[in-house]
Amino acid sequence: MRILPRVAASVAVCALLVTAGSAADVIKIGVQAPITGKYANEGQSIDNGVRLVIDQLNAKGGLLGKQLEVVSCDDEGKAQKAAICARKLVNEGVLAVIGSYTSGATEAAQTTYFRNKTLQTSDGTSGSLTKQKYWTFFRNSFRNSDQAAFTATYLVKEKGYKNIVVISDYSGYSVDLADSAAKSIKSEGGNVIYQGKIKSGTQNFTAVLTKIKSMNPDAIYFAGYYTDGGLIRAQQQQLGIKADFIGGDANDNPDFVKLAGKSAEGTILVNFPTAEFLPYDAAKIFIKDYTAKYGKAPSSVWALMNVDGLNAILHAAKETKSLDTKTISNYLHTLRDFPGITGPVSFREDGERINTKFNIYEIQANGKYKIINK
Amino acid sequence: MDIFLQQIVNGLTIGSLYALVALGYTMVYGVMKLINFAHGDLVALSAFAGLTIYTSIFADGGTSIVAVITVFMFTAAVIAVVGVLLERLAYRPLRTAPRLSAVVSALGAGLVIQNAIMLIWGPNMKIFPSHLFPSDIYHFGGIVITFTQLMILIFSSVLMIALYLFINKTKMGTAIRAVAIDQDAAKLMGINVNKIIMIIFIIGSGLGAVAGLFIGIYYRGITFDMGWMYGLNAFVAAIIGGIGNIPGAMFGGLILGLFNALISGYISSAWAETFTFMLLIVVLIFRPTGILGEKVAEKV
Repeated sequence: MRILPRVAASVAVCALLVTAGSAADVIKIGVQAPITGKYANEGQSIDNGVRLVIDQLNAKGGLLGKQLEVVSCDDEGKAQKAAICARKLVNEGVLAVIGSYTSGATEAAQTTYFRNKTLQTSDGTSGSLTKQKYWTFFRNSFRNSDQAAFTATYLVKEKGYKNIVVISDYSGYSVDLADSAAKSIKSEGGNVIYQGKIKSGTQNFTAVLTKIKSMNPDAIYFAGYYTDGGLIRAQQQQLGIKADFIGGDANDNPDFVKLAGKSAEGTILVNFPTAEFLPYDAAKIFIKDYTAKYGKAPSSVWALMNVDGLNAILHAAKETKSLDTKTISNYLHTLRDFPGITGPVSFREDGERINTKFNIYEIQANGKYKIINK
Repeated sequence: MDIFLQQIVNGLTIGSLYALVALGYTMVYGVMKLINFAHGDLVALSAFAGLTIYTSIFADGGTSIVAVITVFMFTAAVIAVVGVLLERLAYRPLRTAPRLSAVVSALGAGLVIQNAIMLIWGPNMKIFPSHLFPSDIYHFGGIVITFTQLMILIFSSVLMIALYLFINKTKMGTAIRAVAIDQDAAKLMGINVNKIIMIIFIIGSGLGAVAGLFIGIYYRGITFDMGWMYGLNAFVAAIIGGIGNIPGAMFGGLILGLFNALISGYISSAWAETFTFMLLIVVLIFRPTGILGEKVAEKV
C-alpha cells in the first residue's frame, strides 16, 4: 500500500494545476451555435458577432480589469449536440453562454445552465423557453405568440384572406409558432383550412403541396426555417398553386431568396426589422465593423439580437462590478432601455425581452426587401 | 384523381433519382459482396463538384445545352475517378479480409468524403443557379410537370435501359456477370477481375454523379451531409428490389419514391420514413432476397 500516498500526491498536484489553470485572469464567454450544418450561416454570424464584441472590449482593456476569452461549441442545431455543448461550456467555467440559434437546441441546454448558475441569452422565440422562469435565461428576441398575433391581424384584417393553410416542421420553435398562428387566425375570425407539417431537410415537399393544391387556399403561412421555406415557395409555384406565401421570422435569410429563385418575388416575410432597416446608429456602426472584419455582413438580424444579449450581460457585470451570475441576473431583470443594436433592451422578470415591433416585407424581383406595413 | 396522378409523378421523379443511386450500391454488392456505404457521399460530392465546374467554366452564368452537357460529362468523369480511387485505397487492400473490415472501411471512407466536402466547400448550404434548365412547366390535364422533372425521368430511364443492355448484351457485360457469380472461375477463364471491378466503380459512380447533379438542379440547395439521406434511401431501395440485382435496384427505387410520395400525401410526411422501413421489414420477412431477388439467379 506504499503506492497510495504517491497516487494521492500526484492527484493533489494535478488538482492544483487544474485550478491554477482555470483561475487565470480571463473571463470566459461561451457561444453555443450551429456553426456547421443546415443553419451554418446563422451560427457563424452569431459566433463572429460575439468574437467581434469581445475583441473590441479586450482592446479597450477588458471587463473589470480582466481580459475575455470566447469558447465556442457547435451544436449543429440539434438537441442532442446541444446537451453535450452545455456540459462542455459549463465545464469550461464560462460566465454566460450566447445562443443557440434554434429554440430546440436552446431548450435542450437550458436546464444544464440553470443548474450550474451559468447565464444564457438566446434568440429562440418558442414560448416554452421562458415557461420555467429560470433566472439564468434571457431571451434577446421576442415570443412566437407576439409574432403570431401580429401576423394573424395582417392576414385576416388587412389582407382579408378567407382560407389559410398553416405549415410547420417538427421543431419546437416551428410547432409553437404554427399553433400560435392558427389560434390567432381563428380568434381574428379567419379560417385555417389545413394545418400540416413537413419534415425539415427532406427537400421534396411536393407531396404535401399537392394535397394543399386541392384545397385552393388564398394564403400559405409557413412557420419554419429558410432552408425549407425557399424550397416550398419554389415547389409551390412549380405545382401552380396560386396562393400567396407568407413566411415566419426564420425565413428571413439571404438563402431563402437564392433557394426560391424566381419564385421569391412577391413572397411576404414577417420579422423583427432586418439589419439593414435598423434605424439605430449602434446598428450601423456594428454592421460596418463586422463587414470590415469578416468581409460580409451578418446573415440576418439574429446575430445582432444575440450580440444585444451579450452586451446587456457585459453591461450588467460592469455596473454591478460583479462576476456573480445571480447579481448580474438581478440587475438584468430590472434593466430598462439599454441602448442595443436592435433597439432598446429591457427584460421582464421571467427573462422575456420587452417591446418588440415587427415589420412585413415583400421580396422584390431583385431579391431585395420592401417594407409594406404601415 | 388529378391529385393522385400528381403524387405519382412526384413519386416517380424522386424514385428515379433513388434508382440511379441504388444502382451504384447494387452493382458493387453484386460483384464484391461489399456494401459501399461511401456511395451516398459520392453523390453529395458530385453535386458540389458539378456546381464548381459550372461556375468555373461558365463564369458569366450563361446556359445552353452545351453548357449542361459539359457539366454532366465533366462531373461524371471526376466522380468516376474518385470512385476508382476509393476502390483502390479503401477496398482493394481489404479484399481478402473479413467482410466486416471492408464495411467499416466503407463507413470510414464515407466520413472522409463528407468531411472533405465540408473542408473544401465549407459547412454552409450551397445553392445551384436556377437557370441551368429552362423553367418551363407543362400541363397534362390537371397534372403539372416541370422541364427538370421531365429531364430526370427521361435521362434516368435512358441510362437504366442502356445499363441493362450493356450488362446483358455485351461481352464486357457477360464478363461482369461472370465475376459476380464466381471470381476465381472468372479469373481462370482469363477475365481480368481488377479491371472488371474498376469498370463497376466507374459506372456506379458515374450514375451516382448524374443523380447528384439532378438533385442539385431539382432541389437547388445542397449541403455537405446530404449524402447520408440519399444514400440510406437508395440502399433501402436496393435491398427492397433485391441487392445485387440491376432491374431490382431500378424497381426498388421507383417503388420507394412512389411509396414515399403517397404516404406523405395521404397520411403524413412524418410517417414516410417509418413506413419506408416497415416496407423494408415486410419485404425482408416474405422475400429475404428482395422482390426481384429470386427470379434472377445470377447477381450482378
